Amino acid sequence: MSRQAQGAVLLILGATVLSGSAFSTTYLNYVRPGFRPLLVAAGAVLVLLGLLSVVTDVLDRPGAADHRGTRVAWLLAVPAFVIVLIAPPALGAFAARRDDGPPAPVRAEGYRALAGGEVTELTLGEFIGRAYARTGPSLAGRKVRLVGFAVRAGDGGGWYLTRMRIGCCAADALALEVVVQGAAAPPEDAWVAVTGTWVAWQDGVPDNYVVPALAATAVTAVGRPAEPYE
Amino acid sequence: MSQPSTADRPVPGSDRPPESGSRRGPAGFRLPWAFIVLVALLVAGRFLLAPHLTHPALRTWATVFVAVCVQALPFLVLGVALSAAITAFVPASFWTLALPRRTSAAVPVAGLAGTVLPGCECASVPVASGLMARGVAPPAALAFLLASPAINPVVLVATAVAFPDDPSMVVARFAASLAVAVLAGWIWTRFGRAAWLPVPRRTAGTHAGRGSVFVDAMRHDLLHAGGFLVVGALAAATLNVVIPRDWLTAVAGVPVVSVLVLAFLAVLLSICSEADAFVAASFTAFSPTAKLAFLVVGPMVDLKLIALQAGTFGRAFTARFAPLTLVLAIGVSFVAGWALP
Repeated sequence: MSRQAQGAVLLILGATVLSGSAFSTTYLNYVRPGFRPLLVAAGAVLVLLGLLSVVTDVLDRPGAADHRGTRVAWLLAVPAFVIVLIAPPALGAFAARRDDGPPAPVRAEGYRALAGGEVTELTLGEFIGRAYARTGPSLAGRKVRLVGFAVRAGDGGGWYLTRMRIGCCAADALALEVVVQGAAAPPEDAWVAVTGTWVAWQDGVPDNYVVPALAATAVTAVGRPAEPYE
Repeated sequence: MSQPSTADRPVPGSDRPPESGSRRGPAGFRLPWAFIVLVALLVAGRFLLAPHLTHPALRTWATVFVAVCVQALPFLVLGVALSAAITAFVPASFWTLALPRRTSAAVPVAGLAGTVLPGCECASVPVASGLMARGVAPPAALAFLLASPAINPVVLVATAVAFPDDPSMVVARFAASLAVAVLAGWIWTRFGRAAWLPVPRRTAGTHAGRGSVFVDAMRHDLLHAGGFLVVGALAAATLNVVIPRDWLTAVAGVPVVSVLVLAFLAVLLSICSEADAFVAASFTAFSPTAKLAFLVVGPMVDLKLIALQAGTFGRAFTARFAPLTLVLAIGVSFVAGWALP
């Protein structure tokens, strides 16, 4: 692998990373928002190194170039090709359906009381956490609004309002799900806002994880949020 | 194409020496063919292939693959830059002063030094390689390699956040990871052979200045380690999408098997050590020992790391070191698990 080929691979990858982080928000499909400065810096370093290699080679200045065992470096172009050709979207219903276990542990204590009359917007994580809180202010009877995408349940016409939670990147994503009752299922993967009230547990907080339910009063289509994950 | 037969095309396998004079144009100027061809392929693929690449399984796989790469890249660049800086700017004599002369004493010191490198495992491989190139005893550099992704402050804080009701998990992770790193270093001191681990060679010309050494070392390490990182990410993304998580709950209650299953899952999933605690905490049906094994094994042995290590230190090394680390990590997790509630 010649020096200018090495430079070309670095340049292509760096440019792809920079365009996804510095000049758009597509990086939010893959990692947490706090990653942006790191990605911009890494992309800039790659572009600089690549330019340096390509330019010195074009001007044909002698320099150290190693041509042993760097064939594997061609693989660095693969992420750039996948990003450009497939343009991977944020994880959706396909990933959520594969992941049917209990969600990441949610904080179940220390919530402040919700306003009685008006509708409060909650994240799915907070809604589930409040549903499992054994102490503190109750969720029962409070009107809440949740935003997520629709995943149809395997049996019958039920559906889940879903949001993926990531700790670092999409490889560690876990699904947060809420059963929606009293509303027809929107198309799969459609982003919706659901307004309604929590369906309280019949016999207290269950010991094993049961997906909490929301009795919907309104389901409206919304645009995909800039930050698709919680 | 004025010189089609000599143009440098991006064909894997075309590693002819670049200084073959016949490729030079009349004015000593040549076109960046590799760059032009790559861009042409990207543009053509975007228009011809992209409309057909829309299956949900493929897109999910692509998202996970890109996520692993994108997430690892800044840490890889950081590690490679640190490693290149060690090569170019830190004199070899520094390490003989900073570390005890006896290798067996240097191993625990180097392992504890792992607390100062914030980041995940992708940064520690090139840094360990840079340390070896600068004359640090390989077992000590290996102890650093194993310890730093698991015991640095960023990872420990993430673990504490993921296990809010269980601070003993943080202590157990720190102690068990450090113990595995030191034990592996000592075992390598006693049984390791120099032939398995050729000390990384630096391709720095004697005429080159320090800045040029830095840039060359960085580009070389980045291309090399980066290529292997992509191999690991391809494998990890495939397994991430193929293995259904339901299989896991079936074995959660079985004492020893559950620990082994989570340990092997850590190897397959290749989750960044800064995030693995959140995933471990989600395995609510498993025992604390099994979760600890997931946390101890993950930063030391996983598909992405195995590929990175094979690329950096050679296959002969990785074929011995990865199984050794895996067995030690599982064994120490069992022992440390007794101390957990």
